[in-house]
Amino acid sequence: MSAQSENQTEQLYPVSLEQHHKVSCFLAYEYRLLDEECFDDWLALMHEDVHYWMPGIENRRRENLLEHGFYAGDHMAYFDDSLRDLGRRVARFKQPSAWAENPGTRNVHQVSNIEVYYGETDGEYVVHSVFQSVRSRGLDEEYVIYGRRKDVLVQQGGSFKIKKRLILIPSATLSCKNINTFL
Amino acid sequence: MSNIIKTIDVTDSLENLKDVCDIENGRIAGKIFYDQAIYEQELEKIFARCWLFVAHESQIPDTGDYITTTMGEDEVIVIRQKDGGIKVFLNACPHRGNKVCFAESGTTRGFICNYHGWSFNVQGNLVGQHESGIYEASDFDKAKWGLKEVAQVDSWKGLVFATFDPEAPTLQEYLGPMTWYLDALFDNQEGGTEFVGGCIRSTYECNWKIAAENFVGDILHAGWTHDSAARAMLGGSVAKVSDFDESYSVNWNGHGYEFALDTVGNVAVLGESALNKYLHTIKPSVAERLGEFRSNMIGAVSSCTLFPNFSFLAGQNTVRVWQPRGPNKIELFTWVVVNKSAPQEIKEKWRKGAMMTFSPTGVFEMDDGENWEYCTKTAKGRVTAAQDLYIGLGMNTLQRDTSLPGNVYKGQLNEANARAYYQQWFDHLSTKRWSELPDRNIGKKEAE
Amino acid sequence: MEKVYLCNVSELAENQVKRIDNSEHGDIAVYNLGGNYYATADLCTHATASLAEGDIEDEMIVCPVHWGQFHIPTGRAQGFPCETDLRTYPVEIEGDAIYALVEVAAPALIAKG
Repeated sequence: MSAQSENQTEQLYPVSLEQHHKVSCFLAYEYRLLDEECFDDWLALMHEDVHYWMPGIENRRRENLLEHGFYAGDHMAYFDDSLRDLGRRVARFKQPSAWAENPGTRNVHQVSNIEVYYGETDGEYVVHSVFQSVRSRGLDEEYVIYGRRKDVLVQQGGSFKIKKRLILIPSATLSCKNINTFL
Repeated sequence: MSNIIKTIDVTDSLENLKDVCDIENGRIAGKIFYDQAIYEQELEKIFARCWLFVAHESQIPDTGDYITTTMGEDEVIVIRQKDGGIKVFLNACPHRGNKVCFAESGTTRGFICNYHGWSFNVQGNLVGQHESGIYEASDFDKAKWGLKEVAQVDSWKGLVFATFDPEAPTLQEYLGPMTWYLDALFDNQEGGTEFVGGCIRSTYECNWKIAAENFVGDILHAGWTHDSAARAMLGGSVAKVSDFDESYSVNWNGHGYEFALDTVGNVAVLGESALNKYLHTIKPSVAERLGEFRSNMIGAVSSCTLFPNFSFLAGQNTVRVWQPRGPNKIELFTWVVVNKSAPQEIKEKWRKGAMMTFSPTGVFEMDDGENWEYCTKTAKGRVTAAQDLYIGLGMNTLQRDTSLPGNVYKGQLNEANARAYYQQWFDHLSTKRWSELPDRNIGKKEAE
Repeated sequence: MEKVYLCNVSELAENQVKRIDNSEHGDIAVYNLGGNYYATADLCTHATASLAEGDIEDEMIVCPVHWGQFHIPTGRAQGFPCETDLRTYPVEIEGDAIYALVEVAAPALIAKG
C-alpha cells in the first residue's frame, strides 16, 4: 500500500470543518446500519454507478510490484462489485435459508483517520479512512478485519452516496473463513 | 548437477484404523478430522508421498518466473527454467534452513539467502556465498549444496503437480482415466487454459479432508446448504439434481468427479447470461474435440477432487487447494481458471463471478465454511469423535457395463466417491510405500 | 605494458561478454557494448564469481552471484554489495584481434584461472 505514491495533490484541498463533520457522521451512520443489520438502508447509500472494490493482496518483492503495488485491477479480489452484485449479496443475507446467518453474526464496525478532500468535480469528495470490523459468531468465534479505505462520495440532497470504495487490507492471507459483512 | 531431497523415514501405521474408517460397512468416525496422531501420519504417508498440485503453467510463463506454495506443510518454490521446464525446490537454504524466497510470486535471477548470502541461480545451483574465500579454504564443494529438488515434477494440460516420493507412479498413472474427465474443463478449446492473476488465501478451522470430500462427490449438499445463495443469484432454488435423467459419480485412485450432463447448471449460478452463452457457443467445437459426452460437462452441475487436496468446479471455474495446517486448520488457496482463447469480457465475468460465489466473500461458500468447521469442531469431544458417521449412500450403484473410463457409479447423488476417497486415505495410512498400496480400481483405464 | 590477446572480434557478438582465462594476470572479461570493446578483471571484487557469467544491462555488468553491478567502461562499483571498483584494461584492436593492455608492475587480482 505504501509501495506506490498515490496522487498527492488532493491533499492540498481539505474541506471545511463542518463538511468534514458531515462526512464523518455519514461514515459512522453507514457502519451503524451494518451493525444493526439494516442491509436495505445500507444498500440505499450506494450510488447507482458504485464500484465497490476489495482487491486480493499479493505479497510481492519491491522489484516485482503489480499495477498498484500489492494489487491489480484484473487480479483476484474479495469484492469487485457493481450495485447489482451488492444487491445479490444483500439478497442472500435476507434469505431464511442462509444457515450461516442464524444465529446471527454480531458486528461492530469502527472507522477513524478520516481525511476529506474536494474531489474532481463539484459535489464529489475523496475520503480516506481506516476501518476495523469485529464479528462474533456462535459462542466463541471472533474475527477482526482492518484496513484502509479510499472512497469517492457524491453529495446528494443533505447526505451522500458512495460512488467508489477501495478497501485495502494489509493481509495477504485472510485470517478468517469468510467476510459475511461489508467493510 | 542436482540435489534431490532425501526421502523421509516412514513410521508404522496406527493400530485400529478400521475403527475410524470402515468403508466396506459405510462408516467413518469424526476422529479422522481432529486427531493429531492421524495428522502426523497424513503428513508422512499422503503429503510426502502423493502428487500434489503446485501451479498452473500460465502463472510462470518465462524463465525466472516463480510462485511459492506448500506441499503439505513444506514450503516450496516453483520456477520456470531456461529450457522451458519447471523445477520445484524446497524453499529452505541448505545452510541453516532459512527461507530463501519470501514473495508469493515474481520474476528473478535467483535466490539469495538473507542469512549468509548463499546465492542460488534459477536452476537451484549454489553459485556463491558472502565471504566465499572461507568456503574455498574449507574445501567446500558447491555442487553438493544447491537448493533441494523434489523427486518428480510433471504436468497435465497446464496443471503442474509435484511429489516428494521417487517411488510414486508417474503422474499419468496416478491420475489414470480421470484425465479423460479433466479435459472437459482443462482442454476443451485450442490453447488450453490459464489462471486469472493472483490467488485468494484464506483460513478455515476445519480438517482438510472434510472440504476435499465435499468436492469429490457431494452434490447432495447443494440443494440444502446453498439454497440461500441460489435464491440470491438466480431468484430460485438450486437445480433439482434428482430430476436429471443422467448423472455419474466417477472415481479412480481416490480421485472423484461427480457430474450431470446439463452443460450449464454450474455456470448458471454466476448469474451471467454471457457465460452461459459462451459455453453454448463453444459446445459444438468441444463436441468435435472431445466428443458429445464431454461437451455436456463443460459447465454442468459437477465437482471434482484429485486426491488428496486439489479441487475444482467446472462452470464456476473455481480451483482450490486445501492446504493442511494441522488437523483442525487449513489455508485455502483459490484461483479462477479460464480458456486462453475466451474473449477478455468473458474472462472478466468469470473472474468476478467466481469471486462472487466461491471465495471468502462468495455467497455459496459462506454456508459451506460453517458446515466444514463444525464437522471438525464437534470431533473435539472424545466421545463424539468415536461415533459412527454414515457414508453409505448409493452402495449398489456400480456400473460394470459402461463404456466410460474409471470406476463408474450411477447418479451424482451418491457417496460412492466419498467412500473411494476415504478408502484411498485408509490404504495410504495402512502402508509404508507405494508398492504396498492395493489397487482397488475395477473400471476401465481408458475410454472406449 | 604487456599486450594480452583476448579473442577475435568475430567471436564476440554485440552485448556479449566472454571470459578469457589467464593465470598470470587473472582472468579477464571482454565486452562488446554496441560495437565498443572493453576489458575488466573477471573476478568480482565482492566474492568469488565470474562476471562473464553475469548479464549485461545497459553499460553495467551484473554479477551472477549477488547481483551487484559494475560500470563496464570505468569499472566503478555501483550496486550493493559491490564496493571495490573493478580493475579495467585499455583495449586495442588489431585487425580482427582484440588485445588488453596490462600494466605488468601493478598488483593484480589473481583469479583461480
